[in-house]
Amino acid sequence: MKAEKGEHAMKSHKLLSALAAVVLFGSVHALAGEVKIIANRSINADSIAAVELKEVFLQDRKSLSDGSRVEPVLAKNGAAHEIFLRRYLGKSDAALRNYYRTMVFTGTGAMPKSFASDREIVAYVAKTKGAIGYVDMDTPVEGVKILAISNSGNKGEPMLLTRVEPEYPETLRKLGIGGSVRLQLTISPQGSVKSVAVLGGNPIFVEVAVKAAKQWVYAAWPSQTTVEVTIPFPPRP
Amino acid sequence: MHRRVIELALLCLCAGQAGWAQEFKILDRTVQIHGFASQGFVHTDHNNWLTMYTSHVGSGEFTDFAANASTQINDHLRVGAQIYDRNLGNLGRWHPSLDWAFADYRYKPWLGIRAGKVETVLGLYNDAQDLDFVRTFALLPQSVYPTDVRDATNAHAGGDLYGSISLNRHLGTFSYTAYAGHRSDSSHSGYPYLLSQWGTQFQTFGALQYGGDLRWKTPIRGVLIGASRLNQDTEGSGTSINPGNRSGGRIPYYECSKADWMNQFYGQYTFSRIKIDSEYRRYLRDQSIFSGTSVNITDVRGWYVSGTYRVAKRLELGSYYSRYTITSVVGGALLRIGIPQRTDTSLPENHIYDKVVAARIDLNQFWNVHVEGHFMDGYGSGNYPNGFYLQVNPDGFQPTTNALVLKTSVSF
Repeated sequence: MKAEKGEHAMKSHKLLSALAAVVLFGSVHALAGEVKIIANRSINADSIAAVELKEVFLQDRKSLSDGSRVEPVLAKNGAAHEIFLRRYLGKSDAALRNYYRTMVFTGTGAMPKSFASDREIVAYVAKTKGAIGYVDMDTPVEGVKILAISNSGNKGEPMLLTRVEPEYPETLRKLGIGGSVRLQLTISPQGSVKSVAVLGGNPIFVEVAVKAAKQWVYAAWPSQTTVEVTIPFPPRP
Repeated sequence: MHRRVIELALLCLCAGQAGWAQEFKILDRTVQIHGFASQGFVHTDHNNWLTMYTSHVGSGEFTDFAANASTQINDHLRVGAQIYDRNLGNLGRWHPSLDWAFADYRYKPWLGIRAGKVETVLGLYNDAQDLDFVRTFALLPQSVYPTDVRDATNAHAGGDLYGSISLNRHLGTFSYTAYAGHRSDSSHSGYPYLLSQWGTQFQTFGALQYGGDLRWKTPIRGVLIGASRLNQDTEGSGTSINPGNRSGGRIPYYECSKADWMNQFYGQYTFSRIKIDSEYRRYLRDQSIFSGTSVNITDVRGWYVSGTYRVAKRLELGSYYSRYTITSVVGGALLRIGIPQRTDTSLPENHIYDKVVAARIDLNQFWNVHVEGHFMDGYGSGNYPNGFYLQVNPDGFQPTTNALVLKTSVSF
């Protein structure tokens, strides 16, 4: 009877975990690639580090690390606006407006241009030297360049937005065995993991590592790309 | 005058509806124009507060507005200026002032220089103390940001060196400001007004100021800590009634500081819709007064803890507890004529403990309303301005004061 109860609890736990994974995967997948960063063609860089992007929009810097002058351009509202603020600036719309107003009325910064539609943003960025903005992933962006969001600037890889940790295999945990898995991920331009190639690692770790990595979400990138990652499994007591 | 304010407010509102920034071009440079106007009302149950006659019906002599223009000259250089005017009871009195006007050359993110009249960076909010429309509270905690002595710390004519250094993600970001300049107090600010109750009239009052601020945006998400220091060398001159012979006519008056400094320590935590602030300020002033015949040592200590929460898109709630104490020790001629020493901060005349609840309603992106309740214990009426003045309380003070503050602001 006790064993049955335990089995039932285990099944329920697995069901809940699976449900949570579906919900999580579904939600992050829905967000993947919904925003793309666009820039005037005068900007030399093809990618921008997330920290640099934040500094540009908070007016902590006026130029990129390659020397290109930049001018942030905002949307007035909309889903892309909300996602951009939450993901890259870590501020709500109200907090960002108050931030800019504080700068404007203490003389330490200017109010950035803002537009009501993606079409207007694209048009302004296309004609304005140094302009950098963001639009919905599906917005046509003729006349501008798309900047990839990287973790480490021009030479970096696309920024990892959502990382799902692998479940440590119970059998190896009990035996105190650790290790690592090396994977090559193929990332779609929208930021989802299209495929996973195994480069090395204990096959038991590989199975859970691949399962987790398939749920990772990256920032949008101008084209399909690959990244190599190492997932560690430190031995657990 | 009130009509002018209303017209300005309507102008701001209309301009605000048109968009975030109002701008035009001069010599192919984009010039941005911004402004704000606010109108407040204060009612108190007992003492009159902030130089207004707030008890009984209340007072609407609580108005301020500002307008600024700025432009980016090139990739590094920015210039701008702002005019500010206010009428707060007997302070300000509709005498507009140049709030700030400076050139800002930002060479790199880690090094910039500002020169001209520059807002002073001191703690979390000193440089933005007039901007109630960017925060939850109509009045900042008066223990740390006394609005009646706004002129003392608001800005300096001089220069700043400033910058930010982003370390790796494990160490966060450091920002620094170092400054030096000169402060000039308006004859309609709190300190001259306070001294006028004893018959002192300033012709000049100002100070050399220098100091700095260092803040650390820690790797713990949303956590900021920092410290500020302000040193000053104040000097004022004018005339006064002789405290030793009040019927003997006016005598020349001169005061200067022997030591005058302020330390401020602060921390802030923001997470999602929550913001928690806390600051501590100590202000110590050792001054020679009455042309060197007397000395006065004032020690002001204030701290607060505040919390705000955005309940909905258009509603934010907040509360703070603010604690202010003041001690005053006099020497020389003033001691000989019996001016008392004030050292017991448990007395209501030497402290103000303020409990505050507040709501901010955003009617739209450019127009908001504050509703705020203050529950104050003590009136701290020492020889440094702190909101309670004998001129508007000629019959003396009650130990407690409850206040309702309403304020609406428009900005564009």
